[in-house]
Amino acid sequence: MSAAALSAGRRRGVWRGRIFVALLLLSMAVGLLALGTLCVDVLQRGLAYFDSVLLTNGPSSDPDIAGARPAILATLYLGVLLILFTVPIGVGTAIYLEEYADRHRWYNRLLELNIQNLAAVPSIVYGILGLAFLVRGLGLGRVLLAGALILTLLVLPTVIIAAREAIRAVPSSIREGAYALGATQWQVVSRQVLPAAIPGIATGSILALARAIGETAPLILIGALTFISFNPTVMGPFTALPVQIYNWTKLPDEKFKALAAAAIIVLLIMVLLLNAAAIWLRNRYQKRW
Amino acid sequence: MRISLQEELDQLEAALQEEGALVLRALRGCLNSLARHDVELADEVIAFDDEVDETYVAIEAGIQSLLARQTPVAIDLRNVLAILHINLHLERMADYCVTVAKLTKLVHDTPPDETLAEALEDMGTRAEEMIHAALDSFANRDVESAESLVDMDELIDAANRRVVHQILSLSADPDLREWGLRMLLVSRCLERIGDHAVDIGEQTAFLVSGQFREFTDASH
Amino acid sequence: MNIIETPVQLAQQRERELPPPELREVVFDVSGLTVSYGGNPALKDVSLEVYKNFVTAFIGPSGCGKSTFIRCFNRMNDLIPSASVGGTILYHGEDLYAPHVDAVEVRKRIGMVFQKPNPFPKSIHANVAFGPRVLRMTDDLDGRVERALQQAALWDEVKDRLDESALSLSGGQQQRLCIARCLAVEPDVLLMDEPASALDPISTTRIEDLMHELKREYTIVIVTHNMQQAARIADMTAFFSVQIEDGKRSGVLVEYDATPTIFTKPADKRTEDYVTGRFG
Repeated sequence: MSAAALSAGRRRGVWRGRIFVALLLLSMAVGLLALGTLCVDVLQRGLAYFDSVLLTNGPSSDPDIAGARPAILATLYLGVLLILFTVPIGVGTAIYLEEYADRHRWYNRLLELNIQNLAAVPSIVYGILGLAFLVRGLGLGRVLLAGALILTLLVLPTVIIAAREAIRAVPSSIREGAYALGATQWQVVSRQVLPAAIPGIATGSILALARAIGETAPLILIGALTFISFNPTVMGPFTALPVQIYNWTKLPDEKFKALAAAAIIVLLIMVLLLNAAAIWLRNRYQKRW
Repeated sequence: MRISLQEELDQLEAALQEEGALVLRALRGCLNSLARHDVELADEVIAFDDEVDETYVAIEAGIQSLLARQTPVAIDLRNVLAILHINLHLERMADYCVTVAKLTKLVHDTPPDETLAEALEDMGTRAEEMIHAALDSFANRDVESAESLVDMDELIDAANRRVVHQILSLSADPDLREWGLRMLLVSRCLERIGDHAVDIGEQTAFLVSGQFREFTDASH
Repeated sequence: MNIIETPVQLAQQRERELPPPELREVVFDVSGLTVSYGGNPALKDVSLEVYKNFVTAFIGPSGCGKSTFIRCFNRMNDLIPSASVGGTILYHGEDLYAPHVDAVEVRKRIGMVFQKPNPFPKSIHANVAFGPRVLRMTDDLDGRVERALQQAALWDEVKDRLDESALSLSGGQQQRLCIARCLAVEPDVLLMDEPASALDPISTTRIEDLMHELKREYTIVIVTHNMQQAARIADMTAFFSVQIEDGKRSGVLVEYDATPTIFTKPADKRTEDYVTGRFG
């Protein structure tokens, strides 16, 4: 046998393997390129207006002194309210479905099916829902709370699914060990399952939040007004950053478009920070298993 | 590690040593009964053999149980096999003591030839020493001490050969001649006890070295 | 006159310190036990007695129901919805499956160690303290933790790092930690489902030595697929086998006796075939 007999070149399918890798790299390149182009474009347009004025001033018809402070604050409030609503409801539902529910009962199966479907519903449908039931039906009016509630409904399925995955990832051997020591079901869930699932739940919630703060359609539908110069309150009218961006882009003045780009940068930074937090959390707790 | 195996091995060995103590008592008993023409003592020695047999059976059962359950290997296995063989040798020694006692009973009323009686007593004492040495060398895993048993056995063998000549030179008195024949058998028993003691020494060497070998060849 | 007298002390010396049948205290009295999963019988009509301070081993080929059986003793089969248990198990005379019996109370007294060590993803101290905490036995918690770790022969190895993660321990240490966890709630009985099958030989020997020590204070029941292990450590051994009836496989108890008997002269040919390794 010659040395050449062992060289890779003689193996069939070597080229197939190489082409496959090339295609993978190409796909990745497309994604990165698109993202890169968008970022560069936004930065080009908006960097000039990305300053403290943007962050401290309210909107104005004069682009040079216009800012997005109320919108930014509203987005922050929406985020906080979102977490306050979705996490307890989402985690509670997930715990019920994973730990307490009997899978074979029809109502539990219906519940599961429901949740899967809701995750796929377009956000504008939630907007219509919110308008009909929250703003008009419950009489809340076009307020921040209503916006928060709609966004909650929007991301709740995602949080439930993420929480269920996190809970399911806790090995059953841990539960068995806890039961065998004389723990009740509640003790097993609260002292073993939940603490172990928290990193997964937190990651899922943060990612849901990151998606929600970029939602525009439902907020527009329930009437997130665009010219709010005062700071928003929970039970008052409001506008959110994505809506503000949308409206600035509609204005004819080029400077407003640039302002919009600057506001996009702010939004991107928020999303980036949230995603980074999610990744950091996941890595920090990865090693425990 | 392997606490229960070690405990059982220790228990078996302790039982073996106790059996050895029983054999020594039997030997001392039969020698005394021989020297003093004590028939009662001889009967006690014969009855006593039941205790030795009980011990023998108990150790056998213990070995079977240990082998089945603990699957000993290497030195532990050799230890068990050595105990198995030594158990057998001790039991045979005890049987020889019974034979001596029975022979004593048969000729107890014949006044003995003093020289021969003394010679037999010496052989008996030597046999006692050999049993002590064999059991101690096993307890201490002392191969040198075990090998020294060969020399001690030489003395008994030589004495055994002299006994034949001494008996042939006894007077023509028929009682004394019968006594002489019985004493020949006694001498033979004591010589065999010595051989079993050497066998015990060989088990000690087997345990330590891992190889079984006879200390001397058959021509000896 | 020299009277030879020698009482033979041998019996007491050699005996394995097991009380004879009439002095044994019954901890579990199993009668006609049958376990089914969704209508399929996994274990049929098992009857035996487990004695106090004995190590009792269940051996047999895979699928013979021995793990199912041991899980009946601490009501762990309750966690499997499709499992149904017939017959009775009396624990110190009380029916474990009576309607008024609380599974938590049962598990407080009857602990379990599993095949694969399952330490909680917490510190060593928190692991051992978990049982006492959930059962509200929090007086002198540190003392309890230390005693449990001592009994499990793990204290010396971990006493300086009780706050470190339990997952940083080796496999053998983790299993001893799981044993300490059980011991911390001061149970009466320790159930062990193949406790050493995931461990290397040296750790296995340590666990076996530990069982030898622990049986002085606790009653131990162990399932093992390694019959030599049962031979080494068990006082009583129960052999289970698979029987096929109407096309359904179920486990049955074939023979239950003192371990030396099972391994030297078993009464049933099936037992002999299994322990000699001729079982197909």
